[in-house]
Amino acid sequence: MIRPLLMLCAVLLAAPVSASGLTALDRNAARQLMDGAGQGQPTIVALWSVECTHCKKNLQLFSTLARQHKNLRLISIAAEPEGAEHARILDRHAMPAARYAYGSDAPEAVAYAIDPNWSGELPRSYLFDGKGGKQKHSGVLSRQQVEQETGLAPRR
Amino acid sequence: MTALRPFLLASLFAFLLPLTPAQAADEHAQHAPKTMKKRIELGSAAVFAPDGTLLAVSKQDEHVVLQRSADQGATWSEPLKVNAQPEAISADGENRPKIALSSDGGILVSWTRPLGKPYSGAIRLARSDDGSSFAPPLTVHRDTAEITHRFETLQTLPDNRVLVAWIDKRDLEAAKGKGNYRGAAIYSALSTDGGRSFLPERKVADHSCECCRIASALDTDGAPLLLWRHVYAPNERDHALARLKPDGSADSVQRATYDRWRVDACPHHGPSLVVDAQGLRHAVWFNVKEGEGRVFYGRLPRGNESHVDGQRSIGGPRAAHADLALNDDQLAIVWSEFDGEKTRLDALVSRDNGRNFEPLSLASTEGAADQPRLIQHRQKLYAFWRTEKEGFRLIPLP
Repeated sequence: MIRPLLMLCAVLLAAPVSASGLTALDRNAARQLMDGAGQGQPTIVALWSVECTHCKKNLQLFSTLARQHKNLRLISIAAEPEGAEHARILDRHAMPAARYAYGSDAPEAVAYAIDPNWSGELPRSYLFDGKGGKQKHSGVLSRQQVEQETGLAPRR
Repeated sequence: MTALRPFLLASLFAFLLPLTPAQAADEHAQHAPKTMKKRIELGSAAVFAPDGTLLAVSKQDEHVVLQRSADQGATWSEPLKVNAQPEAISADGENRPKIALSSDGGILVSWTRPLGKPYSGAIRLARSDDGSSFAPPLTVHRDTAEITHRFETLQTLPDNRVLVAWIDKRDLEAAKGKGNYRGAAIYSALSTDGGRSFLPERKVADHSCECCRIASALDTDGAPLLLWRHVYAPNERDHALARLKPDGSADSVQRATYDRWRVDACPHHGPSLVVDAQGLRHAVWFNVKEGEGRVFYGRLPRGNESHVDGQRSIGGPRAAHADLALNDDQLAIVWSEFDGEKTRLDALVSRDNGRNFEPLSLASTEGAADQPRLIQHRQKLYAFWRTEKEGFRLIPLP
């Protein structure tokens, strides 16, 4: 339990952070982030981009859920290098999330490190229940589905 | 020693200079990046001029630039600015600059100019009569609203006509507050003077997907065909094919794929299309079918048919951004695929109308890569591929 968390901390300390607070991911940091996510508590990893209209619906939902469920951890990854818009959009949706963006590593390699079976469609979300359960989804999600698969609400 | 001193000085100050893509990539291979670096936008396109000169367009800062190669991509000319006045330019992923030659020999370059608001853009086109300079770019549509007009395709037609089609959100904007409008729309504008001016745009179809490239081709009689990712009710992101009349309006619009990927998402993954001498419409596209995301090849339905002929998956699970082209009886498909270490450029070639294919491995890169394109010159096909480390690459197919 402790080791993945320590590894995650190591990633966070080693990776570069921009003035606006997004941490750049290379392939190694992305792999470690995904390996360590979901340990011990319900977690959502939300992949998004500035240009993705559908992504904003998920960001809003996740933000709302995080305010209602204090044990829900949010990790946001912009699937592109950080630009001027990223922090503003996350702020607008009041995302209480750890904020990441692609760094200068090849985007193909970062995407592969996040999930070798993801084809780049957005939004892409990974839902962890904190007990070893992990679901992955493309597209806009419903509140009910997210609450169930993160273990925040009982499965029906 | 005196010769060495400037070199040493240059080394001392080298860290102050912007990195070339190759340097940036090399540095990264050794260490995690120390700071956020702006990634260059790789979106590019190329075409052969009749004399065999290779012409390529790409983005440099706030300019689209044209470069020439007389030796099949081994060396390139200094960049010529297509837009003399700087402006914002999209040149990433599905939204690259395009280049085509009109039937009177003009060089046409199109691109999307992002405007101030999110998702907004204008479709721009510049023409050069002699290749030494470009006329000021024009916006091909009359609609001046600061909304989406993006992801254009540029298709030259017989009789010096030019068709530009794009994704347009004016109907979505008009429907706001009046109910649910699925996706965006496809609009097109026609030029009858080789791209010097355009007639008022027309709507081709409602309910396209929002951010995938549009494919275009000519039917056997010269009529333009458009293929794009559509949003069929309620949210099936399959493809639609339109055949246009000579004036650019829609003659027919039909469903072209039946993979039934139900999702509210942005696939960022548009199709490609060619028509053979018998009128068969060969296409490649990406879809998630039965839970698995794959690139597919197939021959699209005609008329009242409602099935794809010969549909098969292309490459492995990470195959991406396929393009296809036809040269006599040779049908070729190229795509990129990340193998865990590097991005490979692979191909399939068929000599029997897409029934059987032979695999080819063309190239690879360890850095970022643009989408590959197939281009043709003198009865030969070439893959054109821009990679961050190697630059423009031209790879002849056997």
